[in-house]
Amino acid sequence: MADFPRIIDDTATSRFLVPRQAFTSNATFQRECAAIFDRCWLYLGHASELEPGAFLTRKVARRPILFTRDKDGTFHALFNACPHRGALVCRERKGAARAFMCMYHGWTFGSDGHLMTLPGSSGYPEGFKTDPQKQMVHVPRMERFGDFFFISFARDGEDLATYLAEAGDYLTLVSEHSASGMQIVGGTQEYAIRGNWKLLAENSFDGYHAACNHSTYLEYLKNANGALGATPLVGVAHNLRNGHAMVEYTAPWGRPIAHWVPLWGDQGKAEIAAIHASLEQRVGPQRADRIAHKNRNMVIFPNLVVNDIMAVTVRTFYPTAPDYMEINAWALAPREESEWLRKYRLYNFTEFLGPGGFATPDDVEAIEKCQQGYATGGDALVNDISKGMNREGGPLFDDEEQMRCFWREWDKRLASVEA
Amino acid sequence: MQTAAISETTLLRLQVEDLLFQEADLLDQWRLDEWLALYTEDAHYYVPPSDVDGDTADPDTALFYIADDHVRMRERVIRLKKVGAHSEHPRSKVRHIVSNVRAHREGDVIHARSSFIVYRSKDITSDAFVGHYLHEIVEAEGALKIARKTCVLDMEALRPHARISIIL
Repeated sequence: MADFPRIIDDTATSRFLVPRQAFTSNATFQRECAAIFDRCWLYLGHASELEPGAFLTRKVARRPILFTRDKDGTFHALFNACPHRGALVCRERKGAARAFMCMYHGWTFGSDGHLMTLPGSSGYPEGFKTDPQKQMVHVPRMERFGDFFFISFARDGEDLATYLAEAGDYLTLVSEHSASGMQIVGGTQEYAIRGNWKLLAENSFDGYHAACNHSTYLEYLKNANGALGATPLVGVAHNLRNGHAMVEYTAPWGRPIAHWVPLWGDQGKAEIAAIHASLEQRVGPQRADRIAHKNRNMVIFPNLVVNDIMAVTVRTFYPTAPDYMEINAWALAPREESEWLRKYRLYNFTEFLGPGGFATPDDVEAIEKCQQGYATGGDALVNDISKGMNREGGPLFDDEEQMRCFWREWDKRLASVEA
Repeated sequence: MQTAAISETTLLRLQVEDLLFQEADLLDQWRLDEWLALYTEDAHYYVPPSDVDGDTADPDTALFYIADDHVRMRERVIRLKKVGAHSEHPRSKVRHIVSNVRAHREGDVIHARSSFIVYRSKDITSDAFVGHYLHEIVEAEGALKIARKTCVLDMEALRPHARISIIL
């Protein structure tokens, strides 16, 4: 019955195989749209991006969304299309506005999407303006978890907190970096990869590839005076349920949330010590140590990455075809951070992350070369994701358990819809 | 026969053009050490993102694509020469087109504004980066050196590009 490529998941023989058709088939992509992107909770944005009266436009799973905050502070997620003829109502990326006028015929809507005025209203019957079908349409569901806003295009289904399962705890943990709240730093990295979106989900928490794929980044850290601390690269993988997973590990690079490296000097040492002390006071010594010293790469199914590493990045990626995805990446930082540390945070971020960093371009190369390699077909039809499958004591950060969590959920969801 | 006098402004522009064309040529030929030698020891190289005002954005407060000080420029060059810089091994074909150069002096600093198109070709794909350069140029040891280069992309996003793995 299921006519999509199923994964092979056999613990007894330590076999975990993903058919390469999962990355190339158009039918599978259409099925993903129905089974995943039209059903799951998807990341929309962060509360810090909108002051009261502000708006931004963003595509979520190929749909144009208008994300607004009205003057009273309430957030709204609207489909960005005019109920009259369907034109995009808001054509700007962001700004402040109390009303949105469609440029076609002048229908004008409030921040909550209600139709405020329309020219030539004498041509319409009484009550037309308040007809529910003449208002901008709200996305069926929007919920927030802390300051993270998610939407779902499905009217029914589990609430956000249930969906996030244990991943919610780590969104909370990353929020605890700050006493005054985390904020998205201005500036978005917007790029694309000519590869299947699931390759980036895998890559975002792949602890196995760093030594080979990112050798030049690690060599750079050694070269750059004092950028490399003495902390070894070791850790574990966590299944956060519902397809969400995470690797958690120590690493030699500096973390602006209280993991010092010699490059930052004595002033930096004092500042980092003060941050650590205030963290301890706020969340207790054990949790403070975890926040300060452990790196976490988390993928919230299907496509929200929150990587709390040498900086904190929030990243989403949406396919528009089986072999193409669009990526948006932001930097998340404590509001109260000093100018000095903010500078280092961003310096750290651009060093590793993003299309101009010393690491991401090589990830992109790997993803694009996988996609190109799948064209070989022949007998090499499956990817091996079995590393550490039956490791005693549980999977390590450089095993592949976190990817197996993703793939099991993917397989389950695709199996659950009619083709 | 009379020779028309070349104005100060034109002369300055010609000098700046020479430098910018030399920079473009070195990058196209992957002569990266010589490219780096065009810069002062305290130079910076920036590529701001597309959703901020790239002419005025500050890399200490906004997330850039690239925000290199001289140390990182040097490390970028070292990295790009390695086989392990997978994204550029084998190397892309690169072509920098620089035009519309304007230059003026402010104290000891020459400010130059120009237009660029940079093509990166590899894997049967060519991507074009379109934008404008802001160069800050100083005179050092009798030569013109670049103290700061900002590559402002006149693009909505870095799409369909996946990376700025070359030097813009």
